[in-house]
Amino acid sequence: MRKTFAVIRREFIERVRTQWFWVGTILGPLLMAGIIGSQVLLAARKAGDRSIAIVDATTTRFGQELTTQLGAAITRFHLTRIPHAPSTPDSLLGEVEAKHLDGFLLISDSTLEFGTAEYRGSNVSSVADMEQLENGLRRLVFAARLERRGIDTLLVQQAEIRIRLATHKVSGRKLTGESGTQSFLTGFGMAILLFVAILIYGVNVMSSVLEEKTTKIVEVLISSLRPFELMLGKVIGAGAVGIVQLTVWIVSAKVLSGASARMGTGGAGGLGGPGAVGGFQFPQIPTTTLIIFVLYFLLGYFLYAAIYAAVGAMSSTEAEARQAQVPVQLLLMIPYVSFFGILNDPNSSLAVWMTLIPFWSPIATPVRWGASPIPVVELVASLAILLVTVAGVTWVASRIYRVGILMTGKRPNLKELFRWVRAA
Amino acid sequence: MSQSIVAVDRITKRFAGHTAVDALSLTVPPGVIYGLLGPNGAGKSTTIRMILNIYAPDSGTVRLFGEEGTGRDHSGRIGYLPEERGLYPKMRVLDVLLFLAELKGVDRRAARPKALDWLARLGLSDWRLRKVNELSKGMQQKVQFISTILHEPDLLVMDEAFAGLDPVNSQVLKDTVLELRGRGKTILFSTHIMEQAEKVCDHVCIIARGKKLVDGTLADIKRTHGGRHVAIAFDGSGGDSAAAAVLADRKLIAKANDYGQYAELELAPGADAQEILRRLVGAGVRLSRFEQVEPTLTKIFIDLVGPDAARAAAVPEAAAHA
Repeated sequence: MRKTFAVIRREFIERVRTQWFWVGTILGPLLMAGIIGSQVLLAARKAGDRSIAIVDATTTRFGQELTTQLGAAITRFHLTRIPHAPSTPDSLLGEVEAKHLDGFLLISDSTLEFGTAEYRGSNVSSVADMEQLENGLRRLVFAARLERRGIDTLLVQQAEIRIRLATHKVSGRKLTGESGTQSFLTGFGMAILLFVAILIYGVNVMSSVLEEKTTKIVEVLISSLRPFELMLGKVIGAGAVGIVQLTVWIVSAKVLSGASARMGTGGAGGLGGPGAVGGFQFPQIPTTTLIIFVLYFLLGYFLYAAIYAAVGAMSSTEAEARQAQVPVQLLLMIPYVSFFGILNDPNSSLAVWMTLIPFWSPIATPVRWGASPIPVVELVASLAILLVTVAGVTWVASRIYRVGILMTGKRPNLKELFRWVRAA
Repeated sequence: MSQSIVAVDRITKRFAGHTAVDALSLTVPPGVIYGLLGPNGAGKSTTIRMILNIYAPDSGTVRLFGEEGTGRDHSGRIGYLPEERGLYPKMRVLDVLLFLAELKGVDRRAARPKALDWLARLGLSDWRLRKVNELSKGMQQKVQFISTILHEPDLLVMDEAFAGLDPVNSQVLKDTVLELRGRGKTILFSTHIMEQAEKVCDHVCIIARGKKLVDGTLADIKRTHGGRHVAIAFDGSGGDSAAAAVLADRKLIAKANDYGQYAELELAPGADAQEILRRLVGAGVRLSRFEQVEPTLTKIFIDLVGPDAARAAAVPEAAAHA
């Protein structure tokens, strides 16, 4: 055990000492902060004033009405109506370039007839601006068209009602206070994090095994401790690095989510502001979800790290190992790419099977849990199957590892691998 | 005298239809430098790996220090320098040494001063915090050598000990090996370079194609294999007839070429050169020279394994290691 600890220690220290560890550890939260920060910035920008010219080429009073009503509906839009002349668009382009104007809207009779209009400006990439403008135009054109047919717009306004569907995740018999969007984000985040973490740390184990093999130091190691102790030490050591890194990420996510909530990214408001736009809210992660996440990360990591150790042991070069690990990566990818299906219908047979199949459950189960509570029986079965598989795969992997680390030459085929496993 | 340090009893190892080691037995007594000699592909590395329990023998047993347990169980008492050298390229020199000492069961704190001491002795103090891959090949060899003896093993096992060493390191290694033997440690090493073995070994075992050809002390082997020739010279003061009587004894001498003042004798099977000397002196023959003509180890080696060596060379090196 003391020797295994020495291996764990070496594996951990040497990894933590590399630049990549620090880049990864710091860059992760920075990236998250960047995403949240840009959302906050975007939300802040949305509230900004815009001066927009309306180039009116209509032959009716519609242009005038539109300007007044749109200006009244969206107060941050400062509108000026300019009658259309052939040279207007060109001169306005100059204004936009000189930043006197954010943009200009071209309307004509066909706006009312066919619903066409054109906007040119420097803010076209602002989703919020464009959405508000478009919504406002739609309502006004809609009202004008009704009026033309002699229908009282007041009546329509009264008849019209906005549906707001509130989605709340139910866990057990109580509401979790999590919205549908947040559940989705939690599931999405967990799928990415689990996939990336298991893959990265699994591949780390593989390259570490390969390093010892190619530098031939493994022979000295194996004369001092059992191959299984060595493999275990590597898997635990690299896993410990993963835990540290994930902890940093999760803690900073919690801190950031608190910070972003305080800064208040919501409150779209205004005419037709659909609320969801720019309303990025970092999901609150309940403790049970966190426990499930960590549990499945550990089990999934052990499962795949053992496989990766065996892959490293049976390869002789970095290139060979990269090639040999492709099937493993694909296996891990299956639950990752199907996370959307799981979230869409967390109780479908797809989701249930994914929870039970041990090579997929490490990613599928937390994702499913993030979307909807899993029946206890299924959760227990999932964990039990996974545990048994981890034990079995570790055993098989250690047999392959034991023979493979001392092998040179060509990679074994399946028949040979089978013989390695059976060898006394 | 006492228990043997390594007692190998009829070990056999087969790899995919090829027998690397075939019912090999050998005994390494304590406090000697023991050479395991043989051509490439003879099974030296496989034998050493079985002694260290890196491979399990298909049959036969290995007993170390006269105690139960495998090479791995005794690894704290064994230092091992494998044929293919290697260290962690990205680790710091001192960290590598401490890690490998830890695997031998030495506490890091206890290993540290010893490691620093050895690094100083071999002129590597300034490099202790450098990464291994910043060192020259020769320096890396020194570091690896330190790692094999840092835990003060009772048995030092070196596979192709001198292979790839530059002359300076070769000298350092030889001096250290002799010093260790002086302190009662046992050294087992394999080589195919006979001149080196002849200079340092007390005991040797020559193997080819997985089988033992001969083993024993170097002196015994020389005596039994080609130590069968004696050259004598008379000092010319008579007694020739007395000498002729001794030389005619076919129980002692199989063949004699008498040149008058000088004779070359080939000993009869089982005869002892010392007996001839005693008889000659006893008969009043005055000798100016009496010399057992010893063959070199190289000659014995080639005599024993010559044809085998040729055949072994036809076997790819990989097959021997696979």
